[in-house]
Amino acid sequence: MAQLSDVAVEVTDLAKSYGFVVALKSVNFRIESGRYFVLLGPSGGGKTTLLRLIGGFIRPTRGRVLLHGRDVSDLPPNKRPTSMVFQSFALFPHMTVAKNVGYGLRIRKLPVSEVLERVGDMLEMVGLTGLGDRMPHELSGGQQQRVQLARSLVLETDILLLDEPLAALDAKLHKSMCIELKRLQEKVGITFIHVTHNQEEAMTVADDMAIIASGELVEAGKAIDLYENPVRRFTADFIGENNIFDGPVTKIDGAEVTIDLGYGTATANSRGQSVQVGDEASISVRSERLRMFDADDRGKESFQYLSATHMETVYLGLTTSELVMLPDGKEVMVRRLSDGVEGTGFTRGEEVRVGWQKADGRFHTS
Amino acid sequence: MRDDYSSELGHKLKWAYLLSIVFALLAPVFYVIYISFNEYGFGARIYEFTTDWYRVVLGDTMLVASLEWTIYLAVGAVATTIPMGLMSAKLYKRTRHKVGFVTLMLSPLFVPADILASSLLVFFKHLSGAFEWLGGALGQGWLQTWFELGFLTALIGQIIYTLPYAFVVILITMSRYHPQQTEAARGCGANAWQAFWQVEFPQIKAGVFSACAFVVILSFNEATRTALLKGGFDTFSNVLVSQMLNVGMSEESYAMGGIMSIVSMTVIGSLIIYTLIRSERLERVARAKAEPLMSG
Repeated sequence: MAQLSDVAVEVTDLAKSYGFVVALKSVNFRIESGRYFVLLGPSGGGKTTLLRLIGGFIRPTRGRVLLHGRDVSDLPPNKRPTSMVFQSFALFPHMTVAKNVGYGLRIRKLPVSEVLERVGDMLEMVGLTGLGDRMPHELSGGQQQRVQLARSLVLETDILLLDEPLAALDAKLHKSMCIELKRLQEKVGITFIHVTHNQEEAMTVADDMAIIASGELVEAGKAIDLYENPVRRFTADFIGENNIFDGPVTKIDGAEVTIDLGYGTATANSRGQSVQVGDEASISVRSERLRMFDADDRGKESFQYLSATHMETVYLGLTTSELVMLPDGKEVMVRRLSDGVEGTGFTRGEEVRVGWQKADGRFHTS
Repeated sequence: MRDDYSSELGHKLKWAYLLSIVFALLAPVFYVIYISFNEYGFGARIYEFTTDWYRVVLGDTMLVASLEWTIYLAVGAVATTIPMGLMSAKLYKRTRHKVGFVTLMLSPLFVPADILASSLLVFFKHLSGAFEWLGGALGQGWLQTWFELGFLTALIGQIIYTLPYAFVVILITMSRYHPQQTEAARGCGANAWQAFWQVEFPQIKAGVFSACAFVVILSFNEATRTALLKGGFDTFSNVLVSQMLNVGMSEESYAMGGIMSIVSMTVIGSLIIYTLIRSERLERVARAKAEPLMSG
C-alpha cells in the first residue's frame, strides 16, 4: 500500500439531511492511513451517519468523501475500498461460517482454492479454526462478531468501518473483544474507523478520536490529548469524569485566567485561547485530580480550593467516589483509588474543601 | 396454547370445536369430490367408483381450452404480480409513509368484485374508444384495434385482484429479514442484484413461493372479473359457473369442481406442510441460539 496516499480518509464539508432533519452538519476531517480512529459521541449525534457516508451506504446531501485521495462521493459501497462490521453482526444465516467469510472473495470470482485458503487463514487469525462448517446461529455472540470481522478483513480492503461492533456483547466479552480488535488492527495495519458511544471502549482502542455530537464534529485529535487536554467544554464533559465550573472571566494575568463562580474563583491557563474580561468561560477538572480536605486545612500554595459540603461516599471497588455540594448547589465528584478502608472520615453534611493543582484545571471558551 | 392450570376437558372441547368447524367447512367440498367419482352421479342410490367424468371433462375441447386459458392467466398473473408484490414490499420497508402506502396497496380489496370489474370494463371500453379515435386521427389502423377486451384486460383485472394478497404474503416473510445483511453484502463487494439474489432472496423465498401459490389459486377461483373483462375466451371458473347457472349441476360439473378443489387443496396442503417443516426448523434454530454450543 506504499503507493497510496498517507491520508486514508478525507471528508470536506460533508453533510446529510433527511428532509428538514439535519443528521450531519458540515464536517471536515482527515484520518491518517493505518490508524485506529474512533468516532465517539452520544447516541443520535450523527457518528453512524458519518460512518455510513464514508462507506457509501447513504448519499451525502453536500460535501465530498476522499479515500486515499480518490473522490468516492458518488460511488456505491461495493465500489469503495472499504468493508463494514455491523452492530447486529449481519451474518448471512443461510450460509455456513466459511461461506460467510468467503462471500466477498466469491463475488470477486477468485479461484475456489484461493478462497478456501484465505478463508482458512482468516478463521485462524480470528481464532475460529475448525468452525467453518457451523451455521452462524450455532455460534456465541463473540464468535459471530469474529466471523463478521473475518468476513471484512479477508477482503484486504484499505479501510475497515466498524459500527458499534461491540454493543451487542456482554461486559466481559466486550472488554476482551476491545483488546482483540486493537491487536487485530495492529496486526493487519489497515485503517480502522470505529463508531461507539462508549468512552471506555474508545479509549481502549483509539489512536485518534473525534467527538461527534448534534451532527457536528466537536473536537478531534489523539485520544490521550482529548482526555488530558480537551479544548471544548463538551469534550471535557463527555470524556472521563470531569467537574466543570462555569462563570465570567474576571481577571487575565498573562496566560492565567480567573473566572468568578459566585462563591469563589477558579484559575487556569488559557492554553492560547483568546479571551476577554467579561466573557463566559469554563474550567474543567477531572474527578481523579480533585482532592477533599478538612474545612480548616491550611492547604498548599499550588492548589486552589472551594468550600463545599460532603454529601456521600460511594464505594465502586477499584475507586471510591465522594460526592460534595458546592455553595451554589452544584454537585462535584472527587474520585480516589480505594484503600480497602470503609468511609473517608467525612460525614454527611460536614463542611469540607475541595481543591486541585492549578495545572490540572483546563480552560474552555466554548 | 395451554397453561399448567387449564382444564383437560376444556382443552379437548376446544379441539373438538375447531375440528367440527373445519369439518363443516370442508364437508361439502369432499362431498362434491366424492360424487364426482360416482358412475351414477348425484342422488343415485348406487355408488360405483369411476373416473369417467374426469375423462369426459378433460376430453371436452371447450373445457380443456378454458383450462388452458386459466393456466395462461395464472402464469401471467404470477409473472407480473410477484415481481410487483416483491418491489412493493421492498418499497414499503423503505418508505416513511407506511400507512398511506399500505392503504393504497390494499385498496382493491375494499372494492367489491362486481364493482371493480364493471369499473374496469367501463374504463377499458373508453380506453379502447380512445385508441380507436387516435388510430383514426393518426391514420394508423393497428392502433385502432390493438386495445380490445381479451387476455390483456383479463390479466390486468387479475393483477389488481391478486397484488394485495401477494404484497401482504411477501411482506410478512420480509419482515423477518434484516436489511443490514444487504448492506453487509454490498460492503463485501456485491452489487444490488447480487445482494438481493444471493442474500435476501434465499431468506424470503418461502414468502415469494407462497405468494405464487396464492396467485395461482386465486386465478383458478376467480370468475367475476374475468367474466366481464375477458374477450373471446372462457376460464375454467367461467365455464363452471355458467354451466351451473344454465343447466344446473351435472356429473361433469362435479368433476370440474373436483378438479378445482383438488388443485387448490394440493397447493394449500403443500404450503401447510412446507410451513410446518420450516417452522420446526426455525424452532430448532431458536433453541440453538438460546443454548449456544460454545461460549467465548
